[in-house]
Amino acid sequence: MRVPRISDSQMELLATRLAAIGVGRRDFLRVAAGLATMGAAGFNARPVSGAPKLAPGEKLAREQHLRFGGGSWYEQDPSSHDFNKDLYCSGTPQLWAGLMKFNVNFEAVPYVAEKVTPNKDGSVWTFAIRKDSKWSDGSPCTARDFEYSWKRQLDPASAAPYASFLYDIKNGEAFNKKQLTDAREVGVRAKDDWTLEVTLEGPRGYFPVLSAYLAALPGHKGSIEKHGDKWTEAANIVSNGPFVLDTWEHNKVIVLRKNKHFFGAKDITLEKVTIPIIPIASGVLPYENNEIDLTRLAPADLKRLQSDPKTAKEVFRFPYPGTWYLLPQVTKPPFDNLKVRKAVAHAIDRENIVKVSQGFAVPAHAMIPPGFPGALDDKKTRDLQRFDPKLAMSMLKGTPFEGGKNWPKISLTMRDEALGSKQLAEAVQAVLLENLNMKTELEVLEQRVFRERLWKQDLQFVWIRWFMDYPDPHNEYFDTFYGKKTTGKRQAWVNDAFDKELEAGRDTSDPKKRLVHYAKAEEIMQNDVGYVPVAWVVRYATAKPTVRGIEKNRQGEVVVDGNIYTDMLMHIYMVDKA
Amino acid sequence: MSRVAVAVAAPVEEPRVRSSSLWRDGVRRLRRNKLAVAGGIVIALLCVVAIFADFLAPLPYTKSNFGRLNEAPSRDFPLGTDLLGRDLLSRMIYGARVSMLVGLGAQVIVVLIGVPIGALSGYIGGRTDMFLTRFIDVMYAFPRLLFVILLMSMLGAGLTNIFIAIGLTGWVGIARQTRAQVLAIKEKEFIDGARALGAGFRRLLMRHILPNALTPIVVAVTFGIPEAIFTEAALSFIGVGINPPTPSWGQMVGEGQQYIRSYWHLCVFPSIAIAVTMLSFTFFGDGVRDALDPKLK
Repeated sequence: MRVPRISDSQMELLATRLAAIGVGRRDFLRVAAGLATMGAAGFNARPVSGAPKLAPGEKLAREQHLRFGGGSWYEQDPSSHDFNKDLYCSGTPQLWAGLMKFNVNFEAVPYVAEKVTPNKDGSVWTFAIRKDSKWSDGSPCTARDFEYSWKRQLDPASAAPYASFLYDIKNGEAFNKKQLTDAREVGVRAKDDWTLEVTLEGPRGYFPVLSAYLAALPGHKGSIEKHGDKWTEAANIVSNGPFVLDTWEHNKVIVLRKNKHFFGAKDITLEKVTIPIIPIASGVLPYENNEIDLTRLAPADLKRLQSDPKTAKEVFRFPYPGTWYLLPQVTKPPFDNLKVRKAVAHAIDRENIVKVSQGFAVPAHAMIPPGFPGALDDKKTRDLQRFDPKLAMSMLKGTPFEGGKNWPKISLTMRDEALGSKQLAEAVQAVLLENLNMKTELEVLEQRVFRERLWKQDLQFVWIRWFMDYPDPHNEYFDTFYGKKTTGKRQAWVNDAFDKELEAGRDTSDPKKRLVHYAKAEEIMQNDVGYVPVAWVVRYATAKPTVRGIEKNRQGEVVVDGNIYTDMLMHIYMVDKA
Repeated sequence: MSRVAVAVAAPVEEPRVRSSSLWRDGVRRLRRNKLAVAGGIVIALLCVVAIFADFLAPLPYTKSNFGRLNEAPSRDFPLGTDLLGRDLLSRMIYGARVSMLVGLGAQVIVVLIGVPIGALSGYIGGRTDMFLTRFIDVMYAFPRLLFVILLMSMLGAGLTNIFIAIGLTGWVGIARQTRAQVLAIKEKEFIDGARALGAGFRRLLMRHILPNALTPIVVAVTFGIPEAIFTEAALSFIGVGINPPTPSWGQMVGEGQQYIRSYWHLCVFPSIAIAVTMLSFTFFGDGVRDALDPKLK
């Protein structure tokens, strides 16, 4: 099947769409990762989940019960499970099945839809719905349900906070903004029970990706009309996903059970899932007390678990590509002086700094982490900011700060966040003091204040990270450092030659040539020290040996549920202890 | 020095003699209170540690040893090392400096705001008193710690801002006490006498009333110091207090407590330091209060 090409203007539109719903383009663009590979993956139906592959001597546990959470999973009580109304309700996505979903490689693949067909220019998309798609009460879940759900999200009466997510649908925006009252004019229509036709405002090659995101999940009309806002309480809810909500004791626990009416139910082994709602501060304690089977880890606990032979094998890394770096503000002294910025770049003792992260960081010499398109690992790039305290100090020759003297008051600013960010920042302070005699004060700002001042480019020296949204250098350079960016620009640093490389990278279609442009861009940026790379992010989770079936991606990395990939539970099965 | 000089130069006045003997009595009684003496000794030690931190600390508080992170107490590092491989003992010694600075510095601001407001309110009376008292009541109604946190988030973290935040919120108690004292004293006959001799407003207040109102102020200050230290610890614990790398006990506890199951020493030692300091000030404060109470001869 041919997928319509996605033009730059469409990508721009996608960006505006995101800005409007406040997801920030990053959060959503992560899903755009799938765009590149969509054609290859194809849109035809496939098995929902594989059967358990038992190792020799392993036996399926009699009780297929998983307990998971902790480490920032479900730390607060969800406001509801109504993703159809609010994609940030922080409920349980596994209760629902959308037309498409994201697989372990972050690619959009068919789910409730068995076939997705665009018209020639990609402005009309037809979803053929699986005829065995059912609600948890046994009634069919049809194209009409999706028509109802999307119109419900767009209906101004629903007051859905992120309705603009669906503004690509023809007349969706007008309807949502009350410029149009007749819902029949909105471009989503069930042609019959099993065919959903979606007419868009124009060609939108990325529409399947949108339809795989949380915001495109359906809601159950009968329950909504009967129970209003309380329809996702355990007693009221009817859902269509692999699991149903068995119990929801607010602020305490969520219990899921396998949905026997789910079309892929025969491939799902797990019968029951318990998700205790526990604050992040409790760390890994519930896991060690054998109260949960699977949890993400915080830096405080990793080393201890790894050094204990009993738990060492249970800990694993999962991909969370991100880069920690320093932003010296080129408009503020002393960083308006290129020599000072170079000195800083060479004074950062990366090997030592990452030691304080307890394993949650590795030294970085460029924006893109290893293993992703555009990653650079040549000597030339490494030399751009190679740690060399003597060279660093010699850079200061001829500046007012020669010999590490006369530094003005310097504030290093970061946002208040966990996962070892502060320890890394303090280590940066320590090496700057050690190698350049540069005294800095660390200022930790609350998230909102931080972002506001960051975007005003009001901060002198910033400790910050960028989490990759989709594996393309465009995300790592253009979305972050492009000089003509109008919103969310983090740094005052601008470089025309750099911008030109980014534009060339964006407009080139040959993947190899593109990477050349990005490599050049990285070199320009580091030579002008628009930023100083420090460390790449690493994250860890831990699972009891009885938990099996967590998927691996193409790179062979274990992947656990995040905000894009939410498919983990249906692949998991429990085995008896050997 | 200057105070002594003034005392010598000033004509001997009845109330002054009485008050000085009260002080002497007070010291005598304080000495007999063992807990208070113990508290006083600890406080004196803390002051010495704070003042001579540069000489006492084995290592600078910023010195990281990346090869020896999170080590338990050993011969090299008596209290172990922290998350950045810094000597915990050195950081605690410098932390004492921050604590004592905050404790004393904030009390200076508290006294400078609280005493004049209380004294004026009590002395002038009438509408001014009414207005100031209501103002004090309003300030009193705010939950203290929340108010401090609010101020800190407005001002930004830092030592000076902690002084300001604690000072701005801590003066109400002292203002009330001062006002009550002034109200009582200004009706006394020796005040009438002084007034009859032609003493002006300023002289009456500064020379006759305030010195006699000093006892409760001193007591309030002794209790105010640990409160300020604790407030700083609480602020740094939640991350709006002192900016790193300057060490603060509260901050050390705050960061260390996440690691308590992996590296117990990170939060245990600073916690002990805070607890001992608080206890010492409380014992000492109790002692001072009892010692200066004229009813307890």
